[in-house]
Amino acid sequence: MSKSYLELGETHCAIGHPKTAFWQWMLTVDHKRIGIMYAAVMFVFFFVAVFTALAMRIELFAPGAQIMDGDTFNQAFTLHGVLMIFLFIIPGIPAIFGNIVMPLMIGAKDVSFPRLNWATFWLYIFGCLVALTSLFNFNITEGEVLFNFADTGWTFYAPYSLNTGTNVVTTLVAAFILGMASILTGLNFLVTIHRLRAPGMDFFKMPLFVWGIYATAWIQLLATPVVGITLILAIMEKYFGIGIFDPSKGGDPVLFQHLFWIYSHPAVYLMILPAFGIMSEIIPVFSRREIFGYRTIALSSASIAGIGYLVWGHHLFTSGMSDIAKTIFSFLTFFVAIPTGIKFYDWIATMYKGKIILDSPMLWALGTIITFAIGGLTGVTIAMVGSDIHLQDTYYSVAHFHYAILGGVVFLLFAGMHYWFPLVTGKFYKESTAKVAFYLNFVGINLLWFPMFIAGYLGMPRRYFDYLPEFEIYHQVSGVGAIVIISGLVLMFYNFLSSWKSGEAAPVNPWGATTLEWYTPTSPPPLENHSKVPYVDFGPYEYHHAQPKVKFDLATMKRID
Amino acid sequence: MATTKTYEEERAGYYKVLVGLLVLTAVTLIQPTMFLENATFGVQMLIGVIKAWMIVMYYMHMKGEKLIGASVIFAMFLVAFFFVIVMIDVNHFQFGDVSHITSEVTSAGGSSATDH
Amino acid sequence: MSDHPYVPEIAVDREGNEYEVQGWQGDFFGGKFGFWLFMLTEIMMFGAMFMVLTYYFTLHHDDFINASASLNRTLGGFNTVVLLISALTMGLGLLKMRHGDVKGAKLMIWATILLAIVFLGVKAVEWTAEYNHGVFLGLPALQGGLPESKPFGEIMFFGMYFTMTGLHGVHIIIGIGLMLWLLKRINAEKVTPEHYILHFNLALYWDLVHLIWVFVFPYYYMIGAGLSTGGH
Repeated sequence: MSKSYLELGETHCAIGHPKTAFWQWMLTVDHKRIGIMYAAVMFVFFFVAVFTALAMRIELFAPGAQIMDGDTFNQAFTLHGVLMIFLFIIPGIPAIFGNIVMPLMIGAKDVSFPRLNWATFWLYIFGCLVALTSLFNFNITEGEVLFNFADTGWTFYAPYSLNTGTNVVTTLVAAFILGMASILTGLNFLVTIHRLRAPGMDFFKMPLFVWGIYATAWIQLLATPVVGITLILAIMEKYFGIGIFDPSKGGDPVLFQHLFWIYSHPAVYLMILPAFGIMSEIIPVFSRREIFGYRTIALSSASIAGIGYLVWGHHLFTSGMSDIAKTIFSFLTFFVAIPTGIKFYDWIATMYKGKIILDSPMLWALGTIITFAIGGLTGVTIAMVGSDIHLQDTYYSVAHFHYAILGGVVFLLFAGMHYWFPLVTGKFYKESTAKVAFYLNFVGINLLWFPMFIAGYLGMPRRYFDYLPEFEIYHQVSGVGAIVIISGLVLMFYNFLSSWKSGEAAPVNPWGATTLEWYTPTSPPPLENHSKVPYVDFGPYEYHHAQPKVKFDLATMKRID
Repeated sequence: MATTKTYEEERAGYYKVLVGLLVLTAVTLIQPTMFLENATFGVQMLIGVIKAWMIVMYYMHMKGEKLIGASVIFAMFLVAFFFVIVMIDVNHFQFGDVSHITSEVTSAGGSSATDH
Repeated sequence: MSDHPYVPEIAVDREGNEYEVQGWQGDFFGGKFGFWLFMLTEIMMFGAMFMVLTYYFTLHHDDFINASASLNRTLGGFNTVVLLISALTMGLGLLKMRHGDVKGAKLMIWATILLAIVFLGVKAVEWTAEYNHGVFLGLPALQGGLPESKPFGEIMFFGMYFTMTGLHGVHIIIGIGLMLWLLKRINAEKVTPEHYILHFNLALYWDLVHLIWVFVFPYYYMIGAGLSTGGH
């Protein structure tokens, strides 16, 4: 009888055959273990960034300086942005669930290049370390050690970032290393999805999460190299005085913004597409119905990825781009809303006449439909050049971004964590606690960010540590929301950790799901996943009278329905 | 890789491509002083594209590779799109009168090719 | 990782037909596809760099032509031919390997390494001459705002010239390192006429390096060639 992949010795290693559990984890090439390690590292950074954000909220609770001065505030939002964007959410779902679940879903034993996957994880760790050290900057002048900390914001706009004492070059190096890790992850997944699908599984029999990962992998692969170029040009400017982005030396700072957003805008779709994939897994399982419009969801993922490359310029509407380029970008940006809308209608149509089960994964998914709709639609309003000129760099765009990324990507990541928790750990979390945590988060996000739409519309600029007294009420409501959402987060993670330690054991396929990752011989799955590779001649979400239509003998993976 | 060609046939193919590339390189070197002097940039890039096509098709064995070919075309399309947009932007530079970047150019426009 | 020889698994459908399962082990097409995807990232990287170059070419057209005219077309042209022939030797090496001539393949790899070193040597001569003319990264002529500065456009041209040819040179150096590693693997019989994916991918890499030069050369050396007859 096969053993679970979490047990001692149940792993292949990149180098040698270590005996201790510690080295077996450090050197593992098993995609499931690597995914768990990514999650562990990412959530440490996530909580550091969350508490930095809390400090900023406390500072903003009343006008004037409370707990920090303006410079510290600038450094705080830079730290928050860099950690959240580059270390947490960009690798985010692909690195965690792309690794853990995607090979299981397509019936593969591992990814195509398991050793590369291991090396990529350590490249990511190395990139994290470089990113952290780059934020601290020591200047030794005349025997005196000056300490400062990056305060450029996570966008590092030139020429300011290249002229201050901050280590923007090192930060870009970190972004490039992390980007390299992201490229290699994407490359690995693309080859895996093309080569290792179980026999019979064509592209339109893949689960929709795999489609999301596939589209994401293309973005990771083709958008990230542009960061590398930005880095090299920044080095030229900083150390050789070529002045590619510095207008006083003949360069054009708008070009830096072009290059930066050519990468960073597709990166936003890189975050959201696998999240949509998680949504497409959860909705049919907890509605007990085949998903509505499978092909439209799959192809809308691909088209969001495609269009996502072409819209970076909407970040530059107030940067001095030419009017014709503004018009083109505004027009192209509207197109992103179309495939996104298609997905939303498909999910809602799936639930229609379904047997909806309100377990916590479904609650998170439903909550996301509301929060992401707000985030997405406010995005359309600022895609219009005219309104953007009013709302750019105000709390309105801050609120839009957080509704879309926290309320969309991170909420769906949490949904996925609840959904796949029994698969990964073989345990159940406490459902009642999970529900309380969800409601705290859901109320918290709306309290925290909805007032910012109003404040931003009335003219509250972002990244300011002080404000006029008339904005006080909005900041105070936000501050309360921050407390609520953080208590929800802490409760949720406490639930996960304590349940993993001492939760009730979960059987194989506890949710009655139809996709292949649940049909493993043990719970949690054994080292090389399924007992045998099945032949796939069925769709991914086939339900009959609210029961999975396809049944397997888990020891031989033969169909028995 | 399943191939039906013999060693000699394949080697002959490599040499044929080599000759083609050498001829094109020669054209590259003489073109600016021989013909189409007003369109040097365009002609040079066109020759570059032809050479690149030969290398990709024959040296890199791209003939008949559907999936890889489609991937390459997709990447090329993106690069082309970046080019087009940024070129549209820079060709409609709206701040020429006030921009520090362009005013320096006009004042330095008289410099010649024989600086050093 | 597995110490046992890999045997592909067989999946069976409901009619009893058997299908061989593609594993990650020994997947030639997978290895090739993966390496092509990696090369696409290089295309994007150099593509974006050419975009920056074209951006400033549009803004500073005349400066670019002037600066280009001052580059040494003889050495540049010589290097183009060197690289072209090295692409041939690399390709022939792969051909020999596939047809079982391991010794010939190793010889061809050594020839490629030699040509790569010639390329770097010529590059070094070229850069030294430019340094002696006061045109190099960090020298006053390429700093904005000084009395001896060149015009913006020329600074930009030379800055990008050293950046891109330098980056290309780094790729050549990496290529040499990889070829030495490949020779080691061939000697250890890890790369054989039956299992030559590493050799195949390295040949692809070398063609890519050549491919980049195919565009770098005319863009820097030839656009201003009509203004002068070459050389300093």
